[in-house]
Amino acid sequence: MHKPALRGRQGPWGWLFVSPSVLVLGLFLALPIVMALWVSLLDWNGQSNPFTGGQATFVGLDNYRGLLTEDGLDRTLFATSLRNNAYYVLLFVPLSTGLGLTLAMIVNQRMLRGRSLLRTTFYFPSVTSTIAVSTIFLFLFQGSGAVNSLLSWIGVKGPNWFADPRGIVWVTLGNLGLADPNHPSGFLTDHGFMGLSWFEWLSGPSVAMSTMILLATWTTSGTFMLIFLAALQDIPRELEEAAALDGVNRRQLLRHVTLPALRPVLFLVLTLALIGSWQVFDMVYVMGQGAPGNTTLTPAFMSYQSAFKNADYGQGAAIAFILFAIVLACTGAQRWLLRERNPRQGRRR
Amino acid sequence: MAPRRTTLLALTTGITLLATAGCSSSFGDGGDTEQKTGGKQELTVLIGTSGEAETAAVRAAASAYEEESGNTVDVQVASDLNQQLGQAFAGNNPPDVFYVETHQFANYASGGSLYPYGEHITDVEDFSATLRQSFTYDDQLVCVPKDTSSLGLVINDDLWEQAGLTPDDYPATWDDLRRVAGELTDGSVTGLVTSSEYQRLGAFMRQAGGWITDPAQTTMTADSPENLQALEFVQGMLQEGTWKFATEVDAGWAGEAFGKGTAAMTIEGSWLAGALETDFPGIDYTVLPLPEGPAGPGTLAFTNCWGVAQQSAHRDAAVELVDFLTRPDQQIAMGNAFGAVPSRESAAADYLAEHPGTEAWGASGDGVQGPVTVGGFDRVVGQFNTDLESLRTADPARILADLQSYGEAALGAGN
Amino acid sequence: MTPTTPVEPDTRAPRPPRTTRRPRRARAAERPVLGRTRLPWRIAGYTLIIALASLYVLPFVIQLATSFKTDPDAAANPLALWPGTPTAAAYQRLFGIAESHETVPFLRWLGNSALVTVLVTAGRVLFDSMAGYALARLRFPGRRLLFVLLLAVMAVPGVVLLIPKFLVLSTFGMFDTYAGMVIPLLVDAAGIFIMKQFFESVPREVEEAARIDGAGVFRIYWSVVLPMARPALITLTILSFQGSWNEFTHFLVSTQSAEYETLTTGLARFVAGGLGSGTQYPLKLAAAALSTIPVAILFFCFQRYFIRGANAGSVKE
Repeated sequence: MHKPALRGRQGPWGWLFVSPSVLVLGLFLALPIVMALWVSLLDWNGQSNPFTGGQATFVGLDNYRGLLTEDGLDRTLFATSLRNNAYYVLLFVPLSTGLGLTLAMIVNQRMLRGRSLLRTTFYFPSVTSTIAVSTIFLFLFQGSGAVNSLLSWIGVKGPNWFADPRGIVWVTLGNLGLADPNHPSGFLTDHGFMGLSWFEWLSGPSVAMSTMILLATWTTSGTFMLIFLAALQDIPRELEEAAALDGVNRRQLLRHVTLPALRPVLFLVLTLALIGSWQVFDMVYVMGQGAPGNTTLTPAFMSYQSAFKNADYGQGAAIAFILFAIVLACTGAQRWLLRERNPRQGRRR
Repeated sequence: MAPRRTTLLALTTGITLLATAGCSSSFGDGGDTEQKTGGKQELTVLIGTSGEAETAAVRAAASAYEEESGNTVDVQVASDLNQQLGQAFAGNNPPDVFYVETHQFANYASGGSLYPYGEHITDVEDFSATLRQSFTYDDQLVCVPKDTSSLGLVINDDLWEQAGLTPDDYPATWDDLRRVAGELTDGSVTGLVTSSEYQRLGAFMRQAGGWITDPAQTTMTADSPENLQALEFVQGMLQEGTWKFATEVDAGWAGEAFGKGTAAMTIEGSWLAGALETDFPGIDYTVLPLPEGPAGPGTLAFTNCWGVAQQSAHRDAAVELVDFLTRPDQQIAMGNAFGAVPSRESAAADYLAEHPGTEAWGASGDGVQGPVTVGGFDRVVGQFNTDLESLRTADPARILADLQSYGEAALGAGN
Repeated sequence: MTPTTPVEPDTRAPRPPRTTRRPRRARAAERPVLGRTRLPWRIAGYTLIIALASLYVLPFVIQLATSFKTDPDAAANPLALWPGTPTAAAYQRLFGIAESHETVPFLRWLGNSALVTVLVTAGRVLFDSMAGYALARLRFPGRRLLFVLLLAVMAVPGVVLLIPKFLVLSTFGMFDTYAGMVIPLLVDAAGIFIMKQFFESVPREVEEAARIDGAGVFRIYWSVVLPMARPALITLTILSFQGSWNEFTHFLVSTQSAEYETLTTGLARFVAGGLGSGTQYPLKLAAAALSTIPVAILFFCFQRYFIRGANAGSVKE
């Protein structure tokens, strides 16, 4: 279709057009990764330049070893951050996906009045900055704040949300009288993994972390709602009508028509949520910086803190790469699942 | 498209990018920072402030210096001093003058980030010897202490009277403290509110005869029975509800709870005076020495120094500014503004004479403990502080055992 | 970390917005597939929906109400939707009108945010569309590889780059400068992707015609292709505006001095800064509210583009 002569003339233009992007992405995305990989092998205190032969010493994989295999404070902290983030993933991913889907179904009701107002309402938190909404949540969830006042109307004495390091699993078990969270003992406390006892591994997210999960769910569900909504509106109406003629009820329609049609988008949303939740940072910075009791410490925040606060840039970079590996693994798993599950759903878009 | 040519092209691009990056690294090659001399100099000062009173006082002092010298000074307030300083050093863009906390001093000094200027300061012998010792590295006085303050027990006079207590009830021992805190606790008022850091609770370890390390800071002594006794005492009061941490009463720090009247007593240093004057001017309070423990009196003393950056392009002017800020008259002015006790002994004596009732904040001598200053120890202390947050329910022996082992690892790496 | 960043963006040319007026014949489609539910159920449903919606609105209402309260009022009546004694003290402090108290440098934050946002948005719209056009239409060696690299770059999570970006900026001497704040954000891979997908969906005939008329590559791009790309450009503008206005981590690692603080870094440091600052919630909430307003206005005016932007992430392959 294209004459070679034309192609020859386009070559330089093509490079000219992409050059700003190549330059910026190369210098500020590709190159930094290479530099950071080198730094993660150094013991560097940030007070000289390791790229011009400063004081940094090459320590090989020591930074990674200190985080993963050597007994000590670093490993305990890193294990704590992994635990915190794992619980965050475990709760945030299903909650935000489920809520997003529910909201989309509500807004997609053809007979509902004020649909577009509702959609605006649900989506608005998603366009605001995490910093601003975190500030609001800090106020709402104070010990004597709005949420606890609301709870006191129904006779519940709410916890001091952001100052409560207790894991919700033990709080629940404690309230049911099944365990004593304040005086743990036995096998769970005596044994552990990566410097953290099983009692701590199994504690669930702390009350403070749960509050952050709520916030994240609140701000993200709107985005997910829109993604689901677009998919819902793409479901051929004939399909639903045919099902209706067959005399299905609401639940059957949902189960046998709607959900199968949503499957590809469902996987996409799950992946977005999964990848996003390993990157929790802004919220942690504003709401706790790890406090209370390191229960809001995430690997992303720990990486930042190791580098900029404790001046251990090697460790900070090492954490970033471990995090990178985790995210890649998640993306890989998603690709694999998508390929398995979804060979025939050639959605032409 | 020929794949081989594409690959080649990509490789070339990549290498070019790397080469550009490698060649254009623009600093650190020449070694020392070039000094700007003569003319008007622009200085940047970064402070970690205790409140608006302190910020205002430093700004006022800085503008007094501007008038005297003709240089300009830009005072900036850090929200997280250590993080911002660390980032600034690594980014080769440090402020010229800044606060250095004692537990970061060793890190910065050993990294060569601080310009040692002690010998250029007027009458440097006037600074108390213990304070100077905290800021000496390789037998050089690197920077001079800004001010000092030790912890005192601060009492809200009105709440004290309302509880039917008199000056005779001022607590002299741990048991006294426990008793009056119980009597003061009532409804929304908690007897004693402090922050949960070791920078407050550590005083009780000292009163019990213990401390985190030995005096030379070479051996960990965290898991001693004395320390355990101290933490168990604190834990007892926490469990009775007569002592709470600031976060539990919705306060950003203990001073806020005290100012709002939700705390009848608190344990803070002299910076509390300035904060109360700005935020809660109507409050009447009394400053007492901390109660004595089983091993006698004990308190913690804090200080920061005025660091000057090795990378500053205005080192002479920066030292001149520090010299100005630490003049006796300036130190007393700062003390008047926000309660900091001068670090010069002559000025301290004058200041305390002028401000009767604040002697407890200027404590010196036996039983006064400074913070741990070993390099790399801030992470250990950070974890200790984290553990202390849950002291009410946690096992104190376990907390101390963790501190012991983490501390030993840090001491081993630091020496 | 709201994952508003599109991951695998929309392929299609502009389509009629779903939300605004529907053509008349669509009326029939308004009818539900299944019959109406019974009245009691409908009432229960509406009640639930209203309760749910108020969960999304109330925090903002409380925020606004509290920003007009005094500190003690805010602490004592956190739920009150109307201030006991309304006061604009917080706003006066933010705009430097109040005399007492050290003021928060809010105007500086606002100025920095506005400057950076304008520059970044302009840069992204220009560079992303240029690169997107080249990748979609121009034949040049290395094009396919560049595209693969682009996909790879999009997979790198942002927080992994915190320390790396800082290292590069300080090596180039760009740490703590406006250049360091703006330049790394000037191009975003997802934006290139959106533009590439868009240009691929535009029919080639117009360009061919212009080419036969003897127009050069740049002429065609500038006078023929860009005007046609208006809807995509608006979406990109809005995504860039929102993205750079709400950007936090990049500014956190690329600056240190107070003079470069933006609304996000300034507010975050103000809120997170513990000792001495007290709680001061009315002030903090007022600052948060003001920083939300520009994005909110944009949102209410260009809602459908926001929706398309969010959906840019929705479609795979």
